[in-house]
Amino acid sequence: MPNLNQDELAELAVKRITASGAEYGDIRILDSTTQTIRGEDRRIASIRETQDRGFGIRVLYHGAWGFAASSVLSLEEVPRVAELAVEIAKGSASLASEKVKLADEPVHRDRVVTDRRIDPFTVALEHKTALLLETMEYVHRQPGIVRSSAGLWACQDRKLFVSTEGARLEFDLLAVNGAFDATAVHDGRFASRCYNTPHLRMGFELIEDANFLAEAPRIASQAVENVKAPTTEPGLYDLVLDPEHLSLTMHESCGHPSELDRALGYEANYAGTSFLTTDKRGTYRYGSPQVNLVADNLEPQTLAATGYDDDGVACQQWDIVRDGLFVGYCTNREVAPKIGEIRSRGSNRADSWGSVPIVRIANIGLEPGSATLDELLADVKRGIYIEGHGSYSIDQRRYNFQFGGDAFWLIENGKRTHMVRDVIYHGITPEFWGSCDAVADRSHRRRYGFITCGKGQPGQSGWMTHAASHARFRNVNVIGGQGGS
Amino acid sequence: MSATGNRTWPKLTSRDEFRFLAEQVFKRSTGDHTLVSLHDQQSGTTRFANNQIIQNVATRRGSLTVTVAFGRRHGTAGTTDFTAGAVQEAVTRATQIAHLSPDDPEYLPPGAPQAYVRAPTARAETAAAGPARRLEYTNEAIGQCRMENLGAAGMVSSSMATVGVAASTGLFAHEERTDARFSLTVQAGEATGWGAAAHRSIDHLRVQERTLSAIGKAKRGLEVRELPPGRYKVILEPAAVAGLWFLLLRTLDAKSYEKGTSAFSGKLGQPIVDKRLTLRNMPEHEDLLGIGFTADGLPTMASDWIVEGVLTQLAYDRFTAKVRGIDQIPTLDAPCLSGNGATVPGLQELIKSTERAILVTNFWYIRTVNPTDLTMTGMTRDGTFLVENGAIVSAVKNLRFHESPLRAFNRIEAFTNQAEAITSETGKFLVPAMTLRDFNFSSVTRF
Repeated sequence: MPNLNQDELAELAVKRITASGAEYGDIRILDSTTQTIRGEDRRIASIRETQDRGFGIRVLYHGAWGFAASSVLSLEEVPRVAELAVEIAKGSASLASEKVKLADEPVHRDRVVTDRRIDPFTVALEHKTALLLETMEYVHRQPGIVRSSAGLWACQDRKLFVSTEGARLEFDLLAVNGAFDATAVHDGRFASRCYNTPHLRMGFELIEDANFLAEAPRIASQAVENVKAPTTEPGLYDLVLDPEHLSLTMHESCGHPSELDRALGYEANYAGTSFLTTDKRGTYRYGSPQVNLVADNLEPQTLAATGYDDDGVACQQWDIVRDGLFVGYCTNREVAPKIGEIRSRGSNRADSWGSVPIVRIANIGLEPGSATLDELLADVKRGIYIEGHGSYSIDQRRYNFQFGGDAFWLIENGKRTHMVRDVIYHGITPEFWGSCDAVADRSHRRRYGFITCGKGQPGQSGWMTHAASHARFRNVNVIGGQGGS
Repeated sequence: MSATGNRTWPKLTSRDEFRFLAEQVFKRSTGDHTLVSLHDQQSGTTRFANNQIIQNVATRRGSLTVTVAFGRRHGTAGTTDFTAGAVQEAVTRATQIAHLSPDDPEYLPPGAPQAYVRAPTARAETAAAGPARRLEYTNEAIGQCRMENLGAAGMVSSSMATVGVAASTGLFAHEERTDARFSLTVQAGEATGWGAAAHRSIDHLRVQERTLSAIGKAKRGLEVRELPPGRYKVILEPAAVAGLWFLLLRTLDAKSYEKGTSAFSGKLGQPIVDKRLTLRNMPEHEDLLGIGFTADGLPTMASDWIVEGVLTQLAYDRFTAKVRGIDQIPTLDAPCLSGNGATVPGLQELIKSTERAILVTNFWYIRTVNPTDLTMTGMTRDGTFLVENGAIVSAVKNLRFHESPLRAFNRIEAFTNQAEAITSETGKFLVPAMTLRDFNFSSVTRF
């Protein structure tokens, strides 16, 4: 933001908010740069770099919220937007029957910077496009492959958060991702196989270390094997799920129901509510004793580990499920006091300067157990081993779900045998997690990030990372690819 | 008439201002071709839950995107900063990217100047609506629910935008667009009822009518029974029909069709749904959200996609269209599904004429399970009822379906006249409510 002093703009906003008589206010000034390179069928289809700059002002007036934001960063626009936020908050207050009271938080003044070895924006574009083109060429060398795609993504957020309480937080955050896939056709069917690096807060070293060219032949070969694989007989199977697959299962069936705003009805009209109602905290059996799900917004490189959230609350680590019992929620300063908690868990995030922060899922991960993957498989007579993400759907209280996957192998008498296709499994969340009887050890732990978690109206994308080791689930209901239709 | 031109500062980027901006970009660009896109919007949403406002927001966001091409090498840069220096930066960055890009064999220069039909994309009353108007509708919905001792969760939004596309070929398009939305979930204990609307005009949201309908559904949901999974006759309200058609329409792309990676491969010119169904694109229909031009600056157009059950059209990208010799690319921005032949006037008549069926208000979390045959899954939500002998007799616990629209819409028994439909997961449609035989519900949930 040339020629404009961000602190000067922030001070202007804080002065206007304070003068209005509001009890609280904050401003976030954000400058995001995103580079997206998209390859398709052996060509680079697009290279796009966008700069998204703006600010958002949040005001709490007589216990009710107002928020206004603008992409026009100027000394004239900041006070106009601040006054609009106050005006909107006054309107909200006119309908307020219960006043918002924020949980206390120490006033932080800090700077947070993502550690990086290689800045992705300094890596030559020719190097990136060559990598994607070569990857797609490797994929297409496999007979039977008809389509491919490959992409790289990097996002840098430079943010200043200033509140009327005196908080001043500066951020220089980075996130990177890369992926490719292969699609094969056989006998009137088609199937894809994907390779994804996790979205993580680190530099281009994530891509360098991923070694796309070494992985491309395997992915292409498995796409062909996948499309030719025999279909799955519906029935009860033991499932062994890989960490990438589990990241989505955890996200949908544990992450979302543990958002306290959902449990309190805030999302009833869109994302939904939660079967984990507040009366269940501390007593409800969510899963087997092997299941420990921990929110960790302190783990370096993970997406929600931003140092502080958009309430200015320091990131933390806490339990969601301990020994199978549901014990904790993801919260912000507004909702935490509603269940008697004196401090927010620091899970309030907005997806841009133009969005108001809302409760988002933390970096929820499954704690490792003690088995090896071979040990998990060895104790399965008839089962399916699943890798990656596929079709997924879950009801709005997060009970009834169905998940597919990216690749499936039949397990017979303790051994992974051959690929199968059309695997969809279905369950009810607490019964499914109750059937988990073993989790692999820390050496199997992998992390996968999400940047498209939809919630809120207007819709926002949430970012978080879910880590797990492989885990085994007994007697899960597997339905065919048409679900019996 | 300009819907947005009378607004006080900060007004959105006008036609003349966009032309000026585009000319500045073209002057600075050294590319063989340059394309500039504008999206400048003011929007606001009032969101409520538990009978009070939980979010109340207003956002002004302008963005300008520049694509520069040298031969078949192209690069794109975007900015939200419209100052001269930032626009110059965007041109410079797009130029750098283009120079460093490999040849794209599918790149096509921007189109020649086009003629556009002026679609009714903007309404002055929506452009003029601000936080006070949204508050008024919010108050109305909450007030109705409070009177019935029920909980209201929902949102009211309105936005106005100016959108433009200009190219160094002389192509120039600019229009104003407005959009207003209302949706409401009424909670009566465990039971919920839902309704939603979207329109160019905020005057057409029919907040009171939709609130009363959602209240009625929530109250009827108090007595709930569980039905076992299985095949049932269903009455799908328009929103439920739209949910199933939304994903179907997104899989009509011509490139996938030609590569054999589409559920429709080989089916162009073949019947795919009941022969009484016809799908048209109608960008000029005032109850749809049609637009005047695409992101490429090509004009949208009225077109037939499915005629009497037969697939007659695919969604072409410019390259595939050129290869196939297609000059005018049909668009699908304002879909209208209609039934030919005998219909019943509305949903109530459909219910009255049904002996036994499950009535579905809406589907949620619809995803493709099997892309080869377009099998989808999803859950019923916010108003699922058992109909017996022409009347609703109870609510039923929500059910998961596994079904392909290519199978389900070949089992139509009856349908109504078209009605407006929108869900949180779909764009806006005009579709009939329908009765379908043997709809596959694969499991039931706990509520």
